[in-house]
Amino acid sequence: MRRFLVTFATLLLLWTVVSQLNHALAPAHVYLFVPALFLTYAALALPLRAGLAATLSAALLCDSATPVIFGTHALLFAVAHIFLFNLRDRVPRDETSARVVIALLANLALFLVFSFVQISRLPAPAEAWPRIICDLLCSQIFLAVIAPWFFALQARALELAFVASPAFDRHLG
Amino acid sequence: MPPRRFDQARPFFTLGVVIVVWLLLPVAFKTFTRASFFELTAPIGVAASRARDLQEYWSLRLHSNNDLIEAGRDLARLNASYALSVQQNATLQSEVARLEELLRLPSFANYRSEHARVTRRDFSAWWQRLVVRKGKNFGITVGAPVVFTGGVVGRVTEVHAYTSVVELISSPNIRLAAVVEGDNRPISFQGGINPTFGPPRGAIEFVPLDIFASTATPKRLVTSGLGGVFPPGLTLGTVTKVEPSTDGLFKTGEVQLDPTLSTLTEVTILVPLNPE
Repeated sequence: MRRFLVTFATLLLLWTVVSQLNHALAPAHVYLFVPALFLTYAALALPLRAGLAATLSAALLCDSATPVIFGTHALLFAVAHIFLFNLRDRVPRDETSARVVIALLANLALFLVFSFVQISRLPAPAEAWPRIICDLLCSQIFLAVIAPWFFALQARALELAFVASPAFDRHLG
Repeated sequence: MPPRRFDQARPFFTLGVVIVVWLLLPVAFKTFTRASFFELTAPIGVAASRARDLQEYWSLRLHSNNDLIEAGRDLARLNASYALSVQQNATLQSEVARLEELLRLPSFANYRSEHARVTRRDFSAWWQRLVVRKGKNFGITVGAPVVFTGGVVGRVTEVHAYTSVVELISSPNIRLAAVVEGDNRPISFQGGINPTFGPPRGAIEFVPLDIFASTATPKRLVTSGLGGVFPPGLTLGTVTKVEPSTDGLFKTGEVQLDPTLSTLTEVTILVPLNPE
């Protein structure tokens, strides 16, 4: 339970940072969408139940703040989480660079899937793609910059809450 | 071995269980969960907004007394002209009431103005929304029109305990009836795709064939008053392009919206006095 709460607190912080950045970037019509950051660490480093619970809670947070069918983010995040969880024994998940690459790939996939889900609601879907691609580029750059800090923050927060330690990490690895 | 195979499939089994449970959950529970999560994040946006206000206050404190005196003088001049407008407005309103009485016309909806600070802007390619710092605590209602000095901002789509969500007219999800200034034939307006680093745009459909507009001779687009949500005559934007539609019966066009829509810090919500 503590593991879930600590992870969820860090995800809430991430949501705050991203929403405030989007607020500041609104005059330039740039939108950052980084769903992969909400689930990569939880999927790669945490046990299934605690990780999935944190990811789903973060997804519901995103769902509540956006005009989409409630559960859209939850479904996408859950599928991505399970996919990464199943993959984690086959990738060097303890290395930050590997985590960042995985997060970038997951973000690309989630961004495109989300865009395809939402684009049918737009009046001229073809016209939306240049904007979507620009947002995707900005989001990927932002993710690459912020991900090492955020993964370190999550690991440190879990350590401070005594739910993770180097021994725990070795056990997982 | 069967146990190992099950162990490998366990994450997918868990995912299946989560999806089935989610599908079986009653709508009331989902609505409650959504509202709960929104209210959980609301204080964060409000706190950030108040911090920005404080920052602005301290930056304003740095202005010299001369600046304040000049601003006060300009404000006094504006107040004088507004006082005159208020008198003219009162005369016109009594004239409208007299004509309504004489011609037995239904009266226009009355609104109460509620000014609200913007706490969060959410401008993606898929939607454009604002979260403002007033909600049920100020009697805001869903569907209430939102305006600013440049015209229409949008309408309230969600009302929470002490915040509300406003869908902007630049959002593709907004569609309303409009008229070109000086014409009374309704046109369909819809928010459009907002390009990166560019001004917001909208699209119009069912434009009569005898209406012409271009960047050199733009036309002002205003609310029609049809539908009862927005009062008539509020500025939506400027029609900068019209061209015949594929069916040849009408024209379609492009509307340039106010670029300050994406930098708004304060808006006015028109709360209907007698909501239906």
